[in-house]
Amino acid sequence: MTATTLSPDSVLDALRGERAARPAPDTTSAARRRAELELGVSEILGEAVPGTPVLIYASSLRASPRTRDLHDSARGRVRGTLVSLLLRLHAVGADVGDPFDDAICAWRAEGPAPELLGLVEALDPDERARLATDVTAHYVTLTRALGEVPAGWAARTAQRASLRLGAGRVLARDTVDLVVGSSGDDVATVALLDVTTAPLGEGAERALRYHALVETLRTSVVPRRSAMLSTATGEFWVRDVDADLLERSVHDVLGTLHELWRAR
Amino acid sequence: MSELVVEPYDRGSIARLVESAPPAAATLTDDHRRSLAARFRAVPDTAHRRIDAWTVESAGRAPLGFAWTPAAARRTVATAALRRVVGCPGTPLRDAVRDALDDQVARARTGQTRPGSLGTWLDAAGAPVRALVVAEAIGWAGATLEAARRAPGPWTVPASDAYYDVAGARTTLRGRRDLEFAREGGRVIVRLRAGSPGASAGAGLRCDLVVAALADAGGIAPTRLVGLWPEAGVALGVDGSMEDLRAGARDLVRAALATRRRRLVLAA
Repeated sequence: MTATTLSPDSVLDALRGERAARPAPDTTSAARRRAELELGVSEILGEAVPGTPVLIYASSLRASPRTRDLHDSARGRVRGTLVSLLLRLHAVGADVGDPFDDAICAWRAEGPAPELLGLVEALDPDERARLATDVTAHYVTLTRALGEVPAGWAARTAQRASLRLGAGRVLARDTVDLVVGSSGDDVATVALLDVTTAPLGEGAERALRYHALVETLRTSVVPRRSAMLSTATGEFWVRDVDADLLERSVHDVLGTLHELWRAR
Repeated sequence: MSELVVEPYDRGSIARLVESAPPAAATLTDDHRRSLAARFRAVPDTAHRRIDAWTVESAGRAPLGFAWTPAAARRTVATAALRRVVGCPGTPLRDAVRDALDDQVARARTGQTRPGSLGTWLDAAGAPVRALVVAEAIGWAGATLEAARRAPGPWTVPASDAYYDVAGARTTLRGRRDLEFAREGGRVIVRLRAGSPGASAGAGLRCDLVVAALADAGGIAPTRLVGLWPEAGVALGVDGSMEDLRAGARDLVRAALATRRRRLVLAA
C-alpha cells in the first residue's frame, strides 16, 4: 500500500501511471472471484430467501454495522454529497465560483432526499455559513490535489454498480466518484478514485478494495488501480489491483455479509 | 416466444450477441398493423397517449408527470454528442457533450423549442446544473461508445428513437435505440439501460422490438434487440421472431389499458 501526501497535481498522475508500464488487462480473475463470492454467499445464507435482498455498500465495509462513525451523521452526509458534486463539476472543467452555492444548486436539480435537503434548509445563518466554509475548504483541498482533469480523458464521475449475488439474495452496490480509462483498451488503464471527507483509516482501505472488486465483477476486467483521497487531511492512498487485493476484498465482503445477516 | 439470451457484459459479449443473432427476422404486414390499431382503438382515452417500454415495465404505475433532472437529460445530450464524435473522429467526448448541450440551449434561445423541452429547461438552469448534465452525459456516452467498440463490423448511432403513430387511436409508440449494428440479413439494435434488469426487462425489450419493426417502412423487425445494463454487468437479448413481436404488441395494448384505468381512478 502506498500511503502518502502528494503534491497538488500528482493524484491524476498516480492514477494513470507510466504509459509504457501498463500491463495487459486481466480478464480471467473475475470468474474466480465471482465463484468464491457465490460459494461464500450460499454458505452464509444457506437455503434462506430473505424478503428483501441484503444490501452491501462500500460504507458497509468502512465500519461495523453496529457502530456509527461521526461522519455518518446527517450533516456529514450532506457535506460528503456536496463535495462529491463539486468533484463532478470540477471533472468536467466547470467554472465553480461559489463552491457551496453551486453545489446546492446542482444538488437541488438532482432531486435530493427530502430529509437531507430539509436539514440544510433548516440551518440558521451561522450554521449555514459554517457548513459553507467547511465545504469550500474540502473543495480547495480537492482541486489542489487533482489539478485540471484533461478533456481527452473523458473521466466518468459517480459511476454506479449494482451486482446480484446468490440468485439476487444479496445486492452489492457501489458508486465510484471518479473513473478514468477504459476496460476495452489493449492495456490495463482503468483507475478508480474515491473521495471522502473523512480521514483515511482501516475502513477506507476496505472500501478501496471493494471498489476494485465490484469493478472487476461488473466489467470482467480487473482495473489497474484503486485510490482514495481524503479532503479532510489531503491523504492519498493508491494501490495497484492484484490477485491478493481482490482476494482480501472477497473476504471483507463475506465477513460484512455474515455480520449483516446475523444482525437481521 | 423465444427465450431471453443472457450474457455477462464482458469484452466479448456484444460481439457474441451480434454474431449469434438469427439470420433473418419476422416481418409485420399491413394486416398486423390494422389489427394492432383496432386493439388500441378499443381502449379509448381522454388524451393523446405515448407508450414505451417503461410504461410496460412499470405496468402503468409510472408517474404521469415528468420533470427534467440531469439524469433524465443525459441520454439525449449523450446521443447528440456521440453523433458528433462519429461524424468527426478524434473529437474529445467532453467537448462533444458540451457542444451538444450548447446546441440545445442555442435552439431554446432562438425560439426553436417548445415549453417543457430539454432545451428550455437547460436554458433556464444554472451553470452548475448544466455542468452536472455534462458529467452525466459523459458517463452515458462513454458506456455507449465502449459497447459500440466491442462489436465487430459497422455500427451507427440512430438519428432518433423509433416512433409509430397508431392510426386513429391517438397513440404514439416509442422504441428506444442507442446503437445499430448492420449485418448480413438484418440489423441488431442495442439499447443501454441504467440500474439492473428486473423481472419485466424482457417484456420491455420486446416492446422496443415491436416498435422498431412498426417504424420500419417494410415492417422488418431487427434480428435481435439487445438490452445492456452496464451498472449490473449484464446484457439480455430478444430475437426478432413473430412470437416475440406478438408478445410485445400484447404488452403495449395492456399498458394502454392499465394507463387508462389509472387515469380514470385519479380523475374519480
